[in-house]
Amino acid sequence: MISQGAAAAATTGSSSTNSAGADAADLCDLSPVPTLVVSPAFRIQRVSKGVEDAWHRGRHEFLGKDLFTALYGGSPLERFDRIPLVRAIEEAVATRNFRLCYAVYTARGVTWSARIIPIFRGDEMLSLVLDWDRVEPKTADAGGEVIQSALSVDEVLRLLIQTVKDYAIFLLDTRGYVATWNTGAELLKGYKREEIVGKHFSTFYGEDDLQAGKPEDELLTCLREGRVQDEGWRYRKDGTRFWANVIITALYRNGVHIGFGKVTRDLTERREAELRLVAAYEESAKLKNDFLANMSHEIRTPMHGMLSACTLLLDTKLDEDQRETANIISESGQILLQVINGILDYSKLASGNFSVNTDLVGVASIISSVVKNVQMTLVPGVYIKLVLAPGLPKSAQGDPLRFRQIFQNIIDNAVKFTEKGSVQVDASISAEDETSYTILTQVTDSGIGVPEDDVQNLFKPFTQLEKPTKKRFQGTGLGLSIAKSLAELLGGQMGYRPNPEHSGSIFWFTVKLKKIANFNQLGIPDMQLDQEAAKSQQDSEKERMLRRIREMAPHKRILAAEDNLVNQKVLSRVLNSLGFQNFTIASNGAEAVSLLSASPNAYDLVLMDISMPIMDGFEATRKIRTYGNPIPIIAMTAYALRGDNETCLEKGMDDYISKPVNINKLLQKLLTWLDSPDWSKTGTSEPT
Amino acid sequence: MALPDDKELEAIFGDTIDLTTFKQILEMDEPGDNEFSSSIVFGFFDQAEETFASMDTALDAEDLEKLSELGHFLKGSSATLGLVKVRDGCEKIQRYGKQENLDGSPENDVKVCLEQIKKALTAVKSDYEEVETGLRNFYKDDDDEDGA
Repeated sequence: MISQGAAAAATTGSSSTNSAGADAADLCDLSPVPTLVVSPAFRIQRVSKGVEDAWHRGRHEFLGKDLFTALYGGSPLERFDRIPLVRAIEEAVATRNFRLCYAVYTARGVTWSARIIPIFRGDEMLSLVLDWDRVEPKTADAGGEVIQSALSVDEVLRLLIQTVKDYAIFLLDTRGYVATWNTGAELLKGYKREEIVGKHFSTFYGEDDLQAGKPEDELLTCLREGRVQDEGWRYRKDGTRFWANVIITALYRNGVHIGFGKVTRDLTERREAELRLVAAYEESAKLKNDFLANMSHEIRTPMHGMLSACTLLLDTKLDEDQRETANIISESGQILLQVINGILDYSKLASGNFSVNTDLVGVASIISSVVKNVQMTLVPGVYIKLVLAPGLPKSAQGDPLRFRQIFQNIIDNAVKFTEKGSVQVDASISAEDETSYTILTQVTDSGIGVPEDDVQNLFKPFTQLEKPTKKRFQGTGLGLSIAKSLAELLGGQMGYRPNPEHSGSIFWFTVKLKKIANFNQLGIPDMQLDQEAAKSQQDSEKERMLRRIREMAPHKRILAAEDNLVNQKVLSRVLNSLGFQNFTIASNGAEAVSLLSASPNAYDLVLMDISMPIMDGFEATRKIRTYGNPIPIIAMTAYALRGDNETCLEKGMDDYISKPVNINKLLQKLLTWLDSPDWSKTGTSEPT
Repeated sequence: MALPDDKELEAIFGDTIDLTTFKQILEMDEPGDNEFSSSIVFGFFDQAEETFASMDTALDAEDLEKLSELGHFLKGSSATLGLVKVRDGCEKIQRYGKQENLDGSPENDVKVCLEQIKKALTAVKSDYEEVETGLRNFYKDDDDEDGA
């Protein structure tokens, strides 16, 4: 009740000049000190005589106006000018105490500071009183620079450098000893000023950088070039490290070197963010390629189904319309399949997952066979010419499938784009050294050629130069890009030049093929090899397989079902000789089934005789599969019962081997089913 | 003993044995003895004689199924040792026991089957004796006890 009454009285007092408060109000008006009295809503209520005298502005410019508009109105940067005063008033009100606000108003070249006095009665703010003091101008320093006519440059710079927290800024003397230290340096590096001043700056470097002489190199470079910048690990007082960006600048006064300025920033977070970005980018590129590869693969399977169904359909009785439609389905399907294969190749190449096989390459025979096939697709009147240089190697080592694919691609293009004239294929040896040939294959056509502007885009993926609206030529635009990558993968190159004689193109590619120096290097025996070489080849292959299985055998467990005692003995002996120690021989199918159902994971592979008393191999397999056990089962089928082999696979077995069991065959089968697929895949083409 | 060469083996066994298969068995022996292979071979002799006796019984009983089973059984072990003639004879017995001709076509006449089996059994016994003699001689050279 009381406070309410008091507040009401105060309001009347401050708003009336005739009441008992009039004297106090006059005092304010008459004061020689520039003074403004402002309402809690920042309306100016009183203006002292000092304001008029000192600022040469009329009372009417202030009375009843908004404080900030009256002070800063008309300045183009008004919204910046008011910031310090607004903040100071907030603080004064919050603390209910006076505040100084330095150099906040300038009139006629003189700068004034405000003393802000909040007047409270109880919890109610009655008014704000702003007293103004003149800021004595600093005399300009040697450089003639004065900031705000109040602070010297030296002072400001010292403050600036001392208080910056996010940068370590400090000086080194000419030999690299720390001379100054700022707050940023203290925060970043963890040393107090008194701990580090006088110490050498190489303290901040790690052992590796010190060994490599990095600190001294940096100073030398800095002296030579004026500055040096570096990013790397630096160490704090507590031994933790941060990723620093460091700039060292050589400092001179009057041409005399006096030391180095060093600015260090902590970029640990940015570096981590960068690494995360790079990882994310790599991950997404990988995902994209995986996705492409998976999709292509998934699409191919039903495509094959559709195409075979279509072929069957075409074999049935169809009328002309139906046949035409079925043909369109078939052709479109073939094209779609090519597109998918192209994408699959591209995604494999892009992700670096493309594997190159090593096999025999007969350059001449591959080229002739492709040319023979392509002849069927020539436009009538276009002829094809094949020039094989003498001396092309009959066989060399390389990837015949990929070689064929590259050649097929460029000759398909040549034929596709040639409507009259000819296509010529030249193959020759472009270089040869002791271990390899470089084979140049060149396809020259008299087709539409490539416009000069488009040449640079020829080998870019998903680019088709021919405008799609013409629809004359189909394709994904992946072919050449894939072919070029393949050529590079085979140690060669691919290129284009215009046909110099008339319109048309010349596409060429090279591949490197290894010479067959020693037949033993080959993964496969060849008809041309003499028997001796083939035999030693087989022997070494066998030895390699033996080594591998003996490595593996101790960790693998085999269950064999065989009823004949003689065969049991021989089989045990064979398995022993291959290094297997853990195998069980069951004397009929029922025994095998009960062993497996008792402990489904006790074995890695089953060798299953077919004809056994009590329960035969087929029945046993059926039972094992019924329990859901996917263990590989290799049938041992008796000699000469035709059809047995196929029956084995139909009945749920995985493979078969005929009896009497040949130790080498068994060895191969066991490797196939017990070893990781990678090994057997790379193993067969690996030179021994 | 050192592995005999092909010529030596051919001289002993002629065409009664598939040398590749038989050598595979010999290679399983430890160097210096032929304990393993001879135990297999002599095990086979016992098995063969037992099986022939069972075949005789089954033939008397006109039990084709049993005959087929026995034929298959001995075919397995003879094939393992490479005793090709015995193996082929056993297969004949197995086939006719299943009422099939040698090419797998059905032979519905039980009498014909029994007749064929009888012939085949006689032939396979004599083939067996031939190869048995060869094998016993082969092992006798190295171990008189085994050869006795």
